[in-house]
Amino acid sequence: MTPTQRMIRLAISLCRQRMFSTRMLIMLPILLLFIPGMAWGFADPNLQLPAEQIPENATETMFLASIGIVFAGTMAAVLIAHDGISRDRMNGVLEIRLSQPMQRWRQGTVLVLGHWMSIALPVTLLIVASMVLVGYRSDMWIQFADAIVFIVAAALVLLWYTVFALLASSIAKEQGSAIAFSIGLWFLFTLLWVLFTTLLAALNGVAVGDTQDQGYLIFEGRLDLLSPNGVYHHLLETRLDGVQRGVSAFVAYLSAIIWTVVPLYFFHRRLNRLVP
Amino acid sequence: MADEVALQFSSIGFRHQLPNPKWYNPFNKRQGAGISQVDLTLLGGQIIGLVGTNGAGKTTLLRMISGILPFKDGHASKDGERLEIEALRSMVGFMPEQIRWSGQQTIRETMTEFALLQGCSIQSTEEILSIVGLRNRSDSSLESLSQGMRQRLSLAVALLGTPKVLVLDEPFNGMDPVAIDAFKRLLRTLANNGIAVVISSHHLSELDHLVDTIALLHRGQLLGHGTIESLQAKLGFEEMTEVVLNREITDPIIDSLNIIEHSSTGQEHRYIFDSSHPELLHVLIAQNYEISTWRILPPTLIELLCAATGLDRDAIGMDVGQSSMIPLRMLGGEEE
Repeated sequence: MTPTQRMIRLAISLCRQRMFSTRMLIMLPILLLFIPGMAWGFADPNLQLPAEQIPENATETMFLASIGIVFAGTMAAVLIAHDGISRDRMNGVLEIRLSQPMQRWRQGTVLVLGHWMSIALPVTLLIVASMVLVGYRSDMWIQFADAIVFIVAAALVLLWYTVFALLASSIAKEQGSAIAFSIGLWFLFTLLWVLFTTLLAALNGVAVGDTQDQGYLIFEGRLDLLSPNGVYHHLLETRLDGVQRGVSAFVAYLSAIIWTVVPLYFFHRRLNRLVP
Repeated sequence: MADEVALQFSSIGFRHQLPNPKWYNPFNKRQGAGISQVDLTLLGGQIIGLVGTNGAGKTTLLRMISGILPFKDGHASKDGERLEIEALRSMVGFMPEQIRWSGQQTIRETMTEFALLQGCSIQSTEEILSIVGLRNRSDSSLESLSQGMRQRLSLAVALLGTPKVLVLDEPFNGMDPVAIDAFKRLLRTLANNGIAVVISSHHLSELDHLVDTIALLHRGQLLGHGTIESLQAKLGFEEMTEVVLNREITDPIIDSLNIIEHSSTGQEHRYIFDSSHPELLHVLIAQNYEISTWRILPPTLIELLCAATGLDRDAIGMDVGQSSMIPLRMLGGEEE
């Protein structure tokens, strides 16, 4: 068996452990409520949204429903991976892992892949189910290319949060710090980012109260490149018509690559220097 | 295979980095305790007992030998060739102190996982489970294992990939006497098969009749390494003899003996002399003393450490946990 085959097998084994854990069972109803539940709600033909935003096609409906991924999917990723390393550190197994001849970058990749797959697989299934629900309820079916972008973007945002959580887990000496760091980061990007954006926009003299103000939209769009959730939405917006937030598709893809490569680099560097 | 050099460590050193936050740098670190300039040669088939008080650096040294901690100084070599860290890890099986195996995973699944990490065949896991006596429990979940079984599983994981060196950190902690005895016999069998075993303990008595050599560690420094007899000789220890009698010795011969300790409890009189004194035995037999004990006492760890470091018993005791590393008197009375 080659080292890569061993890595894949280990990642699948870890994924299976995490996917069928009690934690996942607890999170499953939340994921069901937030992903297909939201899609079902936004697919209602009599939907009334603020600012008279009516989804005109399935891609727009799925875009609105993507808030479920931002809230529930990313939180599930954090909760699945927050003790990926700290738990082994607490019970002593980390020492044995670190003494194994498999290179640390390979072990790190197994950890990332295993945890990420355990949340990305159920979320992908729920996204597909959401697309079917939207099609069934509104009779508007999402195009194949849009569906692929939607799934890949969701997988990417889950990967970013998984890596943040594992990085926090590798730094934390105990479970409490690991979960505080991971949830804190999730809270910042998911809930506080709007406040942060608004505050910065106000300081820069942008008309904050007017959500239709082009200056505000462009400012917010650019600032969103600094947030994983923002980049996720930029990726989805590449498939929407008439969105002008000052960020081109190329910049969105480039940001996605940077958000993937940089945290992974820091995680592998951290794992290489990790001591029990 | 025995006496072949399994691994050689030359002047290896490591210092722990301790958090020392400053207002201008919250991530500032300072150097803590560690290991300094340790030379150690591990021979195949030999069991080395690594002894020292709490905080002496035993675990740190074992982690370095296992390739978990990087060498800040020195290097490891095999047959004169310098080893990279991955090569070192592939040669050493490490059993840390008290692993709390937990989760719904079975023993077999755990062994498979570590076989994949080790890069050895998954079929070999069954054989190893037989060696440590866990084969008939291989479908048990980790949650259901007793402390002794967890220790056996840790040993099984350490044996994956047929290591040349087996490193065991306080393996007897939490084990009952029967399990300790079985464990010791297993270690001897492994050593007889050519594996070099390094075993740490802060109790010399646990290592009785098990280890071939002792390595004395204190404040991160290796004070001496050799057989107990050679260490005793180097440190100037004379054999001490414990004698327990039914009455006090009144013969004038007692005046010519150096009594280290004397205690009386009812009908029992216990003496410790500085050497074996066969002439005393003749006198006691001639005068019809009932001798319930006559034995040579091995030196305690504290005595060995006191002799090796030049510190007294109180100083050694209070020294535990010090993070500074100062030069100590080495074997043979030399100053480092």
